[in-house]
Amino acid sequence: MIRKLPFLACALALATAGGAQARGEADPGVTSTTITIGGTVPLSGIAAAYASVGRGAEAYFKYVNARGGVNGRRIVYKILDDAYNPANTVQQTRELVQQERVFAVFNSLGTEHNLAIRQLLNTLKVPQIFPATGATTFGSDYGRYPWTTAGFQPTYTSEGRIYGRAIGQMKRRARVAVLYQNDDYGKEILNGIRQGLRFAGRGGRVVAAESYGISDPDVSSAVAKLRRSNADIFVIAATPRPAIQAFIAANKLAWKARIIVNAVASASNTMKIVAASTGKRAEGAVSIVFLKDPNDPKWRNDRAIRLYRTIMRRHGTGDANDVYNVYAMASAYTFVEALRKAGRNPTRASFMRAVTNLNIRNNPFLLPGMRIRTSARDRFPLDQARLQRWSNGRWISYGPLLSPR
Amino acid sequence: MADLLQQIVSGLASGGIYASLALALVLIYRATRVVNFGQGEMAMFTTFVAWSLANHLPYWAAFALTLVIAFAGGAALELLLIRPIRDAPVLTVVTVTIGVLIGLNGLARLIWGNEPRQLESPFSTEPVRIGGVAFSLQDLGTIAVSLAIVAVLWLFFQRTKVGLGLRAAALNPSASRLVGVRVGAMLALGWGLAAVLGAVAGLMAAPALGSFDQNMMQPILLYAFAAAILGGIDSPLGAVVGGLGLGVIVNLLGTYVDVVGAELRLPVALLIILVVLLVRPAGLFGREAVRRV
Amino acid sequence: MALVWPARLLGLGAVVAVLALLPRTLEDFTNAYASDLAFVAIYFTALLGLSILTGYSGQISLGHGAFMAIGGYTTAILMSEQGLRLAGHTFSSDLRDVYTIPIAGVVAGLAGLLFGLPALRLTGLYLALATFAVAVALPQVLRRFETLTGGGTGIQLFGLPQLSGLGVEVNVFGRTLPFNDWLYYLCWSIALALLVAAWLLLRGRLGRALRAVRDSEVAAASSGVSLARYKTLAFAISAFYAGVAGSLFAIATTFVNPDVFPITLSIFLVIGAAIGGYGSLLPLLAGALFVQYVRNLGDDAADAGRLPGPVAEFLARPGGRDLVFGATLIVAMFLLPNGIGGLLRRAAEPLTSRLYTRAS
Repeated sequence: MIRKLPFLACALALATAGGAQARGEADPGVTSTTITIGGTVPLSGIAAAYASVGRGAEAYFKYVNARGGVNGRRIVYKILDDAYNPANTVQQTRELVQQERVFAVFNSLGTEHNLAIRQLLNTLKVPQIFPATGATTFGSDYGRYPWTTAGFQPTYTSEGRIYGRAIGQMKRRARVAVLYQNDDYGKEILNGIRQGLRFAGRGGRVVAAESYGISDPDVSSAVAKLRRSNADIFVIAATPRPAIQAFIAANKLAWKARIIVNAVASASNTMKIVAASTGKRAEGAVSIVFLKDPNDPKWRNDRAIRLYRTIMRRHGTGDANDVYNVYAMASAYTFVEALRKAGRNPTRASFMRAVTNLNIRNNPFLLPGMRIRTSARDRFPLDQARLQRWSNGRWISYGPLLSPR
Repeated sequence: MADLLQQIVSGLASGGIYASLALALVLIYRATRVVNFGQGEMAMFTTFVAWSLANHLPYWAAFALTLVIAFAGGAALELLLIRPIRDAPVLTVVTVTIGVLIGLNGLARLIWGNEPRQLESPFSTEPVRIGGVAFSLQDLGTIAVSLAIVAVLWLFFQRTKVGLGLRAAALNPSASRLVGVRVGAMLALGWGLAAVLGAVAGLMAAPALGSFDQNMMQPILLYAFAAAILGGIDSPLGAVVGGLGLGVIVNLLGTYVDVVGAELRLPVALLIILVVLLVRPAGLFGREAVRRV
Repeated sequence: MALVWPARLLGLGAVVAVLALLPRTLEDFTNAYASDLAFVAIYFTALLGLSILTGYSGQISLGHGAFMAIGGYTTAILMSEQGLRLAGHTFSSDLRDVYTIPIAGVVAGLAGLLFGLPALRLTGLYLALATFAVAVALPQVLRRFETLTGGGTGIQLFGLPQLSGLGVEVNVFGRTLPFNDWLYYLCWSIALALLVAAWLLLRGRLGRALRAVRDSEVAAASSGVSLARYKTLAFAISAFYAGVAGSLFAIATTFVNPDVFPITLSIFLVIGAAIGGYGSLLPLLAGALFVQYVRNLGDDAADAGRLPGPVAEFLARPGGRDLVFGATLIVAMFLLPNGIGGLLRRAAEPLTSRLYTRAS
């Protein structure tokens, strides 16, 4: 029994995170020289292409550490591989919290994966910061889950709404066909589009919607079915590989509809594959953008992108043209800013206050003019985006910064 | 009507890929009585090899060289990994092929990284429309290449001495050895040929999928397994019919049966296969071992 | 045969002793080891089922993860507010987690029985691939029937009053245990009880009949063993074991969704059974350890400090861990073509044959 006591003491400390501060003890994960955080990312398995979401953030923290860290503390970021299986996410997260005693869980990837650990983290009062997903629930259900924030991207609903509104401006009485992934992510975008079309009030409507499963080798049959609707706008709410197939299938079917492709699949390197496979069909495709794309010549001499490339060279492990690395750094940058604001000796509670009280205008990895604002009741760090159009082998952004609300 | 034809054509195009990989499974099964879980990853690996070669060589030269490398690789796998444990229980050998699956996937990531790649198609991807049905030369090419390979294999098995030896070695190794068939060489040959078929499947699948990565063959392998049991695991003809049939069935189910939709396409297709198996336990074209109890 | 029981009891005693000592000797046991070791017990339970099926009745299953999924979902549905929705009412049971474990086993066992009947028509490889197909298809089906299963979002168990100690601390027999320790004791008690049950079950008539079926169906049938009855029975028992394992898996993970039971889970069970040895029971422990630890080599936070720098660096590269795992598996199969169980049997053979048979 005696051996159990240290754990009990620790469990009590977890349960009364605020109380520990009063006694002058640091929260788990914080020492005088380090602050330990962690998260799960698929480094192997079917979603290993998302590994850079973890690795990019890791590179940014190394860069911050090389420049003295945050208030004299180095950030130790532990990435564990969940192979995109939520059962592993739970086990690894428990390991991070109980064994590694992380201060906060940051940037864990996947909608279902973050849903799986949300209750656990909130019960133990461990901050769940910027989960890498666009599901709305992480930002909106703060009443039940006060230790959780939304992901560092416009939500899927917001994205859908922006498309719905944009469609309204493109065309009156637009007939819209949607290909979506048969999970929460796909359904949220679909619903967002319907809402956006309603807000636009120009008579546009979704006339056909087809889903596909993540294990389907090919989506051309679903696209052929959508083709029959004779829609004049085709929205692809899919991950990169099925999105590429959808472009190819639409091209093959000589479907002239204007294509909108969601941000999940609109990275330049994905679109270059589309362009190479379908020639002119990719021209004029529309998507949203909120990050500086390292492949965009417009940013070649941008200070942030130059810094980004330097960080990738010195501390990174992957391909610097992979825009997921930029996403990761934008998120990590905001995390660091919040940590700076959480006081000289941050606690989980003070950190949560800082994260839900952000007003950052100059995150260098985001598009100019974008503002990160949060409050206790608005836990969506960013909800703005611009539209962009694919033209001659690259994205060109146009129009003002759009907000879904 | 055009819709129906459209779904059938696109089903045949995917089916051609399933058929090639299913045929590879059948070849290995006939040679070594093992289901090769590594078949898909072998195909994926050779597709990456082709991609690397195609950066330096004209397409068809890279294609040919890849097939040669695939043959050597397949035969080498048999010699190095399968032969030493030929007397072990079947499940042990199957487990080794699972090791090949996991290991090759890792090796490909180590060499080529996680990013998706693109392999150009030897055939035009420009759409052609005939009577309301849209397809590309690439679809036709995929079907044609699969059928051509089957024809070549069939001739090889039926009309050449080596082919006869291969069949004999698979059916009755000890008797074959007695009549002078070099059984060992035949097994390696079987694996080499299977690897070549897999390589063709990968080279056809990569442009059809638009992009490819290390996971490209995993869903296709599932369909190839299904095609092989549908057709009969020891029947090359069955693999081809099973593959093409499965491609079409899955498309038609998803399109015309609303309850099925996208989510249940695969489960329902598998259910149909199970029902077929209950009627014909050795698949459509498989030989049923005579067994009365 | 006479030596088997003393050897078994010795083995069991050793395992129990080690399991009892670990919490007292390993530093930071609760946080660093308890949960991982509970998963070893869970895999061990599932492997027992697989080994009974394949090792004793000769039927191959490449899809035992499906029965784990059935067990896991049964537990999750019984514990949560999720339930059958009929005529506008939701029938949910709100059972405490431990009571759902036997029910989950029985439900999975019935599923096994149902599957075992048509499986009688299939032999060897066709059966293997049919089971594989079921395991591939099941997650999609679970995703589709949302009202019962929660669809892709799944069912959250953490924090439910039905979960022992709300997933934090468990009061049992007047003592307070951290949830991880509770999982460790719960999973191992059940795993070892099921091990002993398997020994007893397979000792008598049933074991003899199953072995006869495995060795020669014709011979077994001609000596009056009902093939159909014993083969389906084996399937049901095996699925029961997998169902219990799945139930424990759901409780330990405190969450289920279709991706929790992917086809790779079935594949890992095949790997574990091959390492332990089909037809063996206690040696399956080695398979369970292999599945839990070798797969996660280099990722487990605990490994970070223990592995030499270049090794850890290699494992962190894309594909590094998969390559090492695949290679380790192949080497293990080369060294132990019949698994650890086969090795032990061979080691014991000269002695038993010396003692009990005349040299021929």
